[in-house]
Amino acid sequence: MRTPLSSGLAAASLGLLVAGLAFRSWQVILLALPPVIVLALGSLFPPARPRLVAVRTLSRDRAEAGQDVDVKLVVRNDGPSLDLVEIVDVLPREFAIVHGTNHAVVSLERGGTMPLSYTVRSPVKGDFRIGPVRVRSLDPLALGAEDAVLLTDARLVVAPTMEDLRRTKLQPRRTRPWFGQVSSRELGEGTDFWGVREYTAGDEVRRINWKASARLDRLFTNEYEGERSGDVVIVVDARRESFIGTETDNPIEHGVRAALGIAEHVLASKNRVGLIVQREVLDWVPPAFGRKQLYRILDHLTHVRPGGEWPFAHVAWVLTRFFPRDCLIVLISPLQDRAALNAVIAMEARGYDVAIVSPSPLAIEWRLGEQRPDDQTALRILRMERDNLISQLRRVAQVVDWDPATPLALALRRIGTWPRPT
Amino acid sequence: MASTHLIPSALRAAPVVTLALLVGWAILDVSTIGDARWTAGLSAVLGIGAAAVILSVVLRWRGIRPVGLIAIGAAYVVAHAFVLGVQLVPALVFLSVLISQVELRILAERFAPLYEAGLRPEERRRIDGALGRAVLRLSIAAALSVVVPILAANLAVAGIVPATTIPTAIGLAGALVAVVALLALMPSLSRKSV
Repeated sequence: MRTPLSSGLAAASLGLLVAGLAFRSWQVILLALPPVIVLALGSLFPPARPRLVAVRTLSRDRAEAGQDVDVKLVVRNDGPSLDLVEIVDVLPREFAIVHGTNHAVVSLERGGTMPLSYTVRSPVKGDFRIGPVRVRSLDPLALGAEDAVLLTDARLVVAPTMEDLRRTKLQPRRTRPWFGQVSSRELGEGTDFWGVREYTAGDEVRRINWKASARLDRLFTNEYEGERSGDVVIVVDARRESFIGTETDNPIEHGVRAALGIAEHVLASKNRVGLIVQREVLDWVPPAFGRKQLYRILDHLTHVRPGGEWPFAHVAWVLTRFFPRDCLIVLISPLQDRAALNAVIAMEARGYDVAIVSPSPLAIEWRLGEQRPDDQTALRILRMERDNLISQLRRVAQVVDWDPATPLALALRRIGTWPRPT
Repeated sequence: MASTHLIPSALRAAPVVTLALLVGWAILDVSTIGDARWTAGLSAVLGIGAAAVILSVVLRWRGIRPVGLIAIGAAYVVAHAFVLGVQLVPALVFLSVLISQVELRILAERFAPLYEAGLRPEERRRIDGALGRAVLRLSIAAALSVVVPILAANLAVAGIVPATTIPTAIGLAGALVAVVALLALMPSLSRKSV
């Protein structure tokens, strides 16, 4: 492959030659020689076609967003000696190199190797592929080049970071028959005192209330409030219209972070958690218990990308068909359209318990903007509209208006137990 | 450790210094022209050339960079061909420096980011070697592009080749066209033979 420089030199040479002939000047004709000499020298040593083999190793194939991953690439030359070869390990555009380089220009003799090691960091979640390796054999005078692509891909799954919700009180209001950690407001196995009744045969000795028995001269037994588990379904709004801001700072990224934190917290309290994601496709994970379910949810959340225009009505349809009726629905949405209001009212009417976490798109936009005094008025108007929508939603659901610059735990702690017990 | 910063700085500075040298040289020659119209016209062409090169860097608009270099080269050649008369050695040096400027810029674009990325000693040694080899080739090309035409001119002046006749000029032109065409076709010809 000839470079533009070689064409330019040839054109300059011909131009000077024609000018020399036109002016009948042998000196100008001689000026046509330097470009030709450079071209001739370049053609004496044309770049060889690269035949290389690359092997790449990663320090880990799964990482958290913002975590460093070491990449080692070894390129071996199985072909002829290469005077000058440019090697680039192609990275996803989301990646930042924090140490070393993925790029080298070196000479490689036959059988020689070139190790490259560098450290990358992805600020966003996703399922990424590192590679291929692009190679260009160059003429040192930049007059010609031969390209090759080494198809060696490596997969790196970057999981979203998790919101720390350990001290937050977040639990479903309605319970199911399985043992858990949610007070059921019914008698059963638990730790919270409920009342006292007369002893009946078969009661455990450790549950006898000795003080009451001594006072009334009859045996009495303590009763406790049963602790059960419930179902929580997290709905993540990742529609195209919900994407506001940058790749790292947008309601969808923050929503995914919140969803993962909530899922982890609720699963740790021995409840079942399910997930619905509104994106290019409407995908869902049926409710289940345990660590495995957390990994399932994490896998789905890792692949969330803004896209699609699924209306909330479809989410309601999926909920009625595939999810239990008495579950708590946690809707994570920036509430960009008023259709959310009708959808939440409809869900409430069908018997679902709804709570909303809304990463504020206004806070994100304001932070990213220039924050001029003129924009203050626009911000005030938009904030009034948003506050109006949220206050209407608060009639049927509990809403957390969350500025993603602050921890979600802080926003939830401000409102106490969430959702509020009825 | 000092060379860690020295090499990329030198690489980045080299094309800028060379360009400044070329523009300064051309301005100096143009300013010696007695005719004000020629001076104004050629100064305008030089100004456009320098502006195009600077804008191509500032606006990252690479398309206008060749236009700038062609304008600078053309201003020099026209000034000498029409008014001042061609002095062979300085003209060859000017042309050689012009070609070297482009080559140095390409080298700087290719190598400077590598040195700035923080290299391990092994990587650095390999890249130093490659840069040294490229600079050596460029120096040889620059030297030959001045020396060979001077030798050819000496031969012509000595009368070994009757350079001032029209048939010689046409023959030389034909040979040059053939060489350029051969150089342009060589890679595709060699590929076909493979």
